[in-house]
Amino acid sequence: MSNIAGKSYAMNTISPLPWHKALVLKLLFFIARFRTTSFNGLLTLSLIHYARWAILRPGDFPHLDPSQPKEDLKYHYEFFFSNFNGSWDQYVDSFSSAIPGGLDLFWRGNVKYPKSVPFRPFHNYITFNQYWTSHYYNAYPMAASNDVKSAEHLRKELVDFTRKVEGASPEAFKEQYDQLLLSLQYDLSTMAPTPVVSLAAAAIDGRERPDAAC
Amino acid sequence: MSNKLDLRDVQGSLLKAYGRYGFPKSRYVFYRVNDGSQARKLITALLPLITNSAVWKGPEQIPDSTLNIAFTYEGLKQLGVPEKSLHSFPPEFSMGMKARRDIVGDVGVNAPACWDPIWNTDGLVQPVHMILWINGRLVERDGQQVNTVDAGYQRLCELVAKHSAGVEQLSGHVGDEGDDPSYQDGSAIYVNGMPTAKEHFGYTDGISEPYFDGCGSHSSRVIGGGKPTGGDPKTKAGWAPLATGEFVLGHRDEAGEYPAAPIPSVFAKNGTFMVYRKLHQNVATFQAYVERMSAAIPGEHAAEILSAKFVGRWKNGAPLATYPTKESADQFAAELNQARLEAKQPGAGKAAQERYEKLRLELVAFDFRDDIDGSRCPLGAHIRRVNPRGSLEFGKTGAFNTPGALINRRRIIRRGLPYGEVRDRSSDQGNHGVIIVALNASIERQFEFVQQQWINYGNDFKLGNDQDPILGNRSVNESGNDRMTIQADPRGKQPPVLCGDMPTFVETRGGDYFFVPSLTALRMMGDGIVDPT
Repeated sequence: MSNIAGKSYAMNTISPLPWHKALVLKLLFFIARFRTTSFNGLLTLSLIHYARWAILRPGDFPHLDPSQPKEDLKYHYEFFFSNFNGSWDQYVDSFSSAIPGGLDLFWRGNVKYPKSVPFRPFHNYITFNQYWTSHYYNAYPMAASNDVKSAEHLRKELVDFTRKVEGASPEAFKEQYDQLLLSLQYDLSTMAPTPVVSLAAAAIDGRERPDAAC
Repeated sequence: MSNKLDLRDVQGSLLKAYGRYGFPKSRYVFYRVNDGSQARKLITALLPLITNSAVWKGPEQIPDSTLNIAFTYEGLKQLGVPEKSLHSFPPEFSMGMKARRDIVGDVGVNAPACWDPIWNTDGLVQPVHMILWINGRLVERDGQQVNTVDAGYQRLCELVAKHSAGVEQLSGHVGDEGDDPSYQDGSAIYVNGMPTAKEHFGYTDGISEPYFDGCGSHSSRVIGGGKPTGGDPKTKAGWAPLATGEFVLGHRDEAGEYPAAPIPSVFAKNGTFMVYRKLHQNVATFQAYVERMSAAIPGEHAAEILSAKFVGRWKNGAPLATYPTKESADQFAAELNQARLEAKQPGAGKAAQERYEKLRLELVAFDFRDDIDGSRCPLGAHIRRVNPRGSLEFGKTGAFNTPGALINRRRIIRRGLPYGEVRDRSSDQGNHGVIIVALNASIERQFEFVQQQWINYGNDFKLGNDQDPILGNRSVNESGNDRMTIQADPRGKQPPVLCGDMPTFVETRGGDYFFVPSLTALRMMGDGIVDPT
């Protein structure tokens, strides 16, 4: 079991909240979608690959087989799913320092939610409600979302460039090439496996790093 | 909130950058504890010699040499610190630096197999239990410079000899011919007989210093040393003191909480954690690489420009963010030097002092808001990585609760000095580099995070796996090398400079994690009365 695959940490939490507070939260989520500034902080946190909050009613939980015992759920639940660079332990400070208001909004009304500052109760709350990942698959283990965005930009610029320089003189080619480099100067970084962010996860991976000769 | 620290209880290294008080030499001495009872007596005997952080109000109060002490987890265990207290230490400390090598990036050429013999022992548990380090002041008597470190070391050895059954001094530091392997010396690099602030690559080092609540420094030092507020970085309004608990245990930190610390609380309060690292510098490889890549820099002074782009400062210390051209940086450095000399003149007036202080602030009074595109200081430059000064909002002012949201909990107090001398600049061989002494309340959250995410990786800066050009260990990447993009002005016509095939310039030669107790905690340890119940 590991919550880490490649450059992504898998974070799932399922936390209870009363039905009437779930309704209020749904309304707030709806309004937030239309306010362009709502996710400014979240989007600026480029270490986050993906984040989604959703409200689940008791009946939304899957009942996969008649042998699965029926559950009598008294609460609605908030499901939070996110992938981000690094590990939860490494970046919990960044989340609660950068967007405390946003976090408090997203978990508003959840049972025993302690607020995001101070961070230790928040850390404990999330960890307590975390749904630990038994299997986590990452199709592009060497890519963080920043790498993907850069790759997309690079592809587009490169395709445009090849069109522009078709039949160009050496001078014109050089000018276009310099322009290409300039437009890609934030997208040319190395892409390689993630550093070891957790010794436990590394042990699970069984990753071996060579101790080279001096 | 102002926090009054008991400076007499905090060890001197934490609040005093000894080098700034005219201490250009240091000696690091390591011991194994063989007999806890005798070693405790030694600690009690050492107590009056340990330098604290109380302000030196005049030259007469400054000692010729200082002495400080710290312990590894194994050392605390051997000294009889109770199990319950031991188990309350953060795991990264109890594991030690060698066991954390994958987190820190000490692999490949930085791996423990390449460390000095004192650190390169079988197994993960190191024999080093205790470090005592001496800093020596530049003293002249009868026109001759006195080696104050030798005198301090002599005094220490005499005291240790009285408790020789308790501890054993460990040997195994690799040095040049004639160096004593039973201790590690550090020294400022001397030019014309006088100590400088240079390191072996030629950069001016040790300029930035975190400013925190209760640190005792002059309030103007908050500029560039505190946390960014979003105000003008050239004024106090642009900065606020960091919380004491980012550096000193037993005080509130930036999260408004008390940092994780051992119990009982009186044992932890006013203590801190320390990382000791010996880093070798591949001077020849660095010079050759700069010369080779500077062919891509148009115009004059290509090598100097490239060197400045790697670090974010010109070699004279002027920050690229404020002084983007060599001419402006040289002029600034000349003015600063002149002002320093005038301020040091006997009978120098207040005006001379203020002029020097105003110019000195220019070294640190900046951020990257006017340079979000990195066309002056590259996004991957060393100083922009290890202290991004609010730039991780990427120009989206107000995106975060505070501009320093991702930075304020990653700051580190740096001490240490260069070691050895470069005898042949055309070779990487020899024993020269820098002794890093890093102080912070959480080794994992501060030192290890910076080392891993910001030095050996680049995602937080949107730089993929690119590493710190100076400190990055290229063996972390499978290719064994790294690259750096030196951004051009996006509105101009010049393309960026792409530095590829970048080799490793700095290699680890050993070190470990230490607990630096307060004077109170040392007294408790010496008396054997630490009781966490």
